[in-house]
Amino acid sequence: MFPRQMYNPDSFANVSENGKIVGFSFEMKMQYYRGITLSIIRDIEVEVDGQLFPRSDIRFTVNQETFTLDEMRTVISNRWRFGQYAQVTVLTEGGLCVGKHHIKCTQTIAPSYMPFQLAHPGESDFVIEGETHEQ
Amino acid sequence: MNNKPKISRSVSLYSYQQPYYEGKLDLEGCIREVAKTGATGIELLAEQMIDDFPVITPAFQDQWFGWMEKYGTEPTCYDAFLENRIYDNRTLTLREQIEMMARDINIASQLGFKTLRTLVATPIDVIEGSLEYAAKKDIKICLEVHSPFSFNSTWADGYMRLIQKTGTQHFGFIPDFGIFCRDIPQTMRDQAFRFGASQRGVELVDEAFKERVSNGFVKIEYDLDLGRAHRAYLEANGYSKLMEALKQAGANEADFKYAGKSFTFTWNDPQDLIDNMPCIFHTHAKCYDLTPDYIEPSMPLDEIVAAYKKGGYTGYLSTEYEGHGFLNDAFEVDSIEQVRRHQEALKRAIEK
Repeated sequence: MFPRQMYNPDSFANVSENGKIVGFSFEMKMQYYRGITLSIIRDIEVEVDGQLFPRSDIRFTVNQETFTLDEMRTVISNRWRFGQYAQVTVLTEGGLCVGKHHIKCTQTIAPSYMPFQLAHPGESDFVIEGETHEQ
Repeated sequence: MNNKPKISRSVSLYSYQQPYYEGKLDLEGCIREVAKTGATGIELLAEQMIDDFPVITPAFQDQWFGWMEKYGTEPTCYDAFLENRIYDNRTLTLREQIEMMARDINIASQLGFKTLRTLVATPIDVIEGSLEYAAKKDIKICLEVHSPFSFNSTWADGYMRLIQKTGTQHFGFIPDFGIFCRDIPQTMRDQAFRFGASQRGVELVDEAFKERVSNGFVKIEYDLDLGRAHRAYLEANGYSKLMEALKQAGANEADFKYAGKSFTFTWNDPQDLIDNMPCIFHTHAKCYDLTPDYIEPSMPLDEIVAAYKKGGYTGYLSTEYEGHGFLNDAFEVDSIEQVRRHQEALKRAIEK
């Protein structure tokens, strides 16, 4: 729906915990036209340079709360607003190497009135700099 | 003195979702842009543009009515989404759905709206169970007649019977102009080519659409299993036949996608509106691509508006620009200009 405007280009970074790189994160907007409760998000698939990360390694943060994808199924009081950046963290030891990369992230949501789920991919090139975000 | 019934003009802020998404317009900016077009009505998707939804703070309420006064506008329609599958393991019970409808009726009332749009998937018993509260708050619940759904169909009949049975003044319909498409928007066709569609594939899809327009569409039926209703609708309108023809022609993925999307547009005779006019309280004047000389090539705007006039309609025609999705993969979208052109086109058609 809004594939070109989906990512915050300045948000891609490795994430560290106690000085050790534990993954990477980025910010994105929803490819849909209204805010939704997290409970109708069915999947967020992250693929970088052709490598698909396991669903269980995805963390989703919005409005200062962080969930796994399975936890999100019961979240009905936290809304991801239309046009709001949410943070996706992918837990992967060592993160991504410094330099250029390509991401394809697919958001799958299930609005109640739709006869089928909506799966919207968005792709972008991005750069990982040397600095990391301490978690 | 002119005693002819007056049709008013409104804009759904949905039309400005692209600049809103990009941070170029905020809620007040959208209202300001509507006022500049000469429209007086504001239609809102609260879930799209109210940050604290579903909470309406007194501060927001004050600000909202302040904007209405400042820009000389009034609230027309509140677009609700009955999220009755908010949990992925079950559908909300009837009681829960009626409570959700009441929540939205209440917000609509707090913000001064007169009508509330509910979606095609709303079960009849949820509407019946909400009529008393709607009457108390004086909000008209309106079922959106959105393509591929249509008037004068078994789907619409059940809701019509509810109106006849109860005699309610607080339930009716909102037609969406997408049911009056005589052609597929050219911008969608251009986008299909950008995505790699073939000349032959697009021709086959366009020919099949033309055939549906000239032979008439088989209408979708009432079924709470929307997937099943939708599959039956596709089948009855030649979906498999088209897909097979595309396969034979060696069509590619982009051709098949274009074919699938072509079934979201339907053509109904605008005269269909006339019999239903007593129950039509608001209208989504959908548009996709207005030319600089105020023509919407995918639908006969003058003919549609003429039917409204003939039927004695006195509600709002509310612009709902939806062409952004056919452009934003490659181009900047000028929603403000598209809405301005559509309002001018509506104004001319109303004054004709």
